[in-house]
Amino acid sequence: MYDLLCEGCGHRSAMMLLDEIIQEKKIKEKTILALDVACCSLLIDFVEYDSIMCAHGRVLDVTKGYKEMKKDNVVISYMGDGAAYSIGIEEMIHSARRNDDALTIVINNGLYSMTGGQVAPTYIDSSNLGFKIEEIISNFSITYLARAALSDKENINIAKQYISTAFDKYMEKGGFSLVELLSPCPTNYKLSPKDAANMINEKITKVYKIGEFVNA
Amino acid sequence: MKRLLNGNEAFAYGAIVAGANFYAGYPITPSTDVYEFFENNGEKYHVKFVHASSEVSAVNMIMGASIAGARALTATSGCGFSLMQEAISYMAADFVPCVILNVMREGAGLGDIPRSQGDYNQMTKGGGNGDYHSIVLACKSIRDCINMPRIAFELSEKYRNPVIVTYDSDIAHTKESVEINISEIKNDTNELDWILNGNKTNNPKRIQNIYYHDKGYDNNLRNKYELIEKNEQRYEEYETSDAEIVLVAFSICGRICIDVIKKAREKGIKVGLIIPITLYPFPQNAFKKLNCCKKIIIVELNILKQMRCDVEYYTKQKYEYHSINSMSTCPTVLDILKYIEEMR
Ligand code: SF4
Repeated sequence: MYDLLCEGCGHRSAMMLLDEIIQEKKIKEKTILALDVACCSLLIDFVEYDSIMCAHGRVLDVTKGYKEMKKDNVVISYMGDGAAYSIGIEEMIHSARRNDDALTIVINNGLYSMTGGQVAPTYIDSSNLGFKIEEIISNFSITYLARAALSDKENINIAKQYISTAFDKYMEKGGFSLVELLSPCPTNYKLSPKDAANMINEKITKVYKIGEFVNA
Repeated sequence: MKRLLNGNEAFAYGAIVAGANFYAGYPITPSTDVYEFFENNGEKYHVKFVHASSEVSAVNMIMGASIAGARALTATSGCGFSLMQEAISYMAADFVPCVILNVMREGAGLGDIPRSQGDYNQMTKGGGNGDYHSIVLACKSIRDCINMPRIAFELSEKYRNPVIVTYDSDIAHTKESVEINISEIKNDTNELDWILNGNKTNNPKRIQNIYYHDKGYDNNLRNKYELIEKNEQRYEEYETSDAEIVLVAFSICGRICIDVIKKAREKGIKVGLIIPITLYPFPQNAFKKLNCCKKIIIVELNILKQMRCDVEYYTKQKYEYHSINSMSTCPTVLDILKYIEEMR
């Protein structure tokens, strides 16, 4: 599945979860998947949904325009952490401020992966403090905000539960929903898939807390 | 009904009559009347209006709306137009239509807001990255501003390419009495075959400009621009068949030159005029019909003689070329007449 991704990549787990949830909810025929560039774009030839590849950081703008005209469709805004919190943070903040009907999935691996692993605002070490979206948008009147990790079976189950909740809220209540997924990038961590996943459990989840931050 | 409208208001009415149903924008002078028009009247005319947080957001929102089948537009000026270039390049490459009004402002950088035509190169050559063009339509009157949105939407949907409508701030803020008929509004979303509405046939549609498997990308783009250049050149010509001197000018300069040729003819000087309506594709066919022309005068409002480069290129440098140009000081009819008389 999703053959262009590296072995152990979190994007694969994320997309498989989305595929399962869309199938379970029987909404494939009204799903639109809007993807950011870089490693996200590696998915576009494989997905079974009508899909859009957007300019870097602009997914939430494109989906805002789309959703305004086709309110019955389920429009997923799928992006990495560079798009969501660096080049696209303005769009993110204003989409949350407006409480747009948005179903946002952020794949957070702390790096600009496609270009070779340069540090993103989410990166953490002694000199980089990271970037926590819950500190930025929790006070807006948004619908749902949660974080999970794509690191092992148990965490992936939690991720599925959060994403599924976000879908339900989006379809029933509307408003801005975001699920961030801590996601291994073994290639740029220079670790095996197993060690990359362990690193997320042992180090990343200590800083980036798993849980639901807003559930309105 | 007759209304007294400036160019920006006329453009907004024209867009409504053309079936526009989505507007996202960010205010910037001298295009702001269009933004305000849709902010205040969008609901009344069934045009969804969104306050975007920047021009970057605005143009990406119209891309999304267009992919949903909307007749989507925005209006901007100067640096705001610059901020839209990445998305324009995406839409050209993705085969997504949209209409963008660029009311040109003076100079580079922030510049200022007087009349100017300094965005000629940016609009016609690309402006964003890569191998593409926008179709560019220039208005020289308030009547043009009413009619151009319909032409712009039709061309953008026919070729699935962004269309830029442009004029300078003299046209934006001059008021003229024009006939409008807003009763014929039709603004449902399009259901063109490429529009995304969910995969209902096990054949997913993709709006993309990166292809890992399908290699038809370069040919598709090449064919699109060849067809546009062959089929869509538009221009107005005045008294060109026997003209020894031909003026070339667009927007406010074109408007002024219409009076120049009348006055010149009264004096027995054989002057003609070509007003490009499409700045891209450049209307080279207009020049193929010139029989007696020896000299061409390009009248334009930019210091780099931007349109002159195209005129010389497309006429294979076979005439004697002159420029009347400045950044934002419009020559009068008498200025141009005097130049013609001294030049002879
Ligand atoms: S570089 Fe990293 S994020 Fe990109 S496909 Fe490979 S593992 Fe996944």
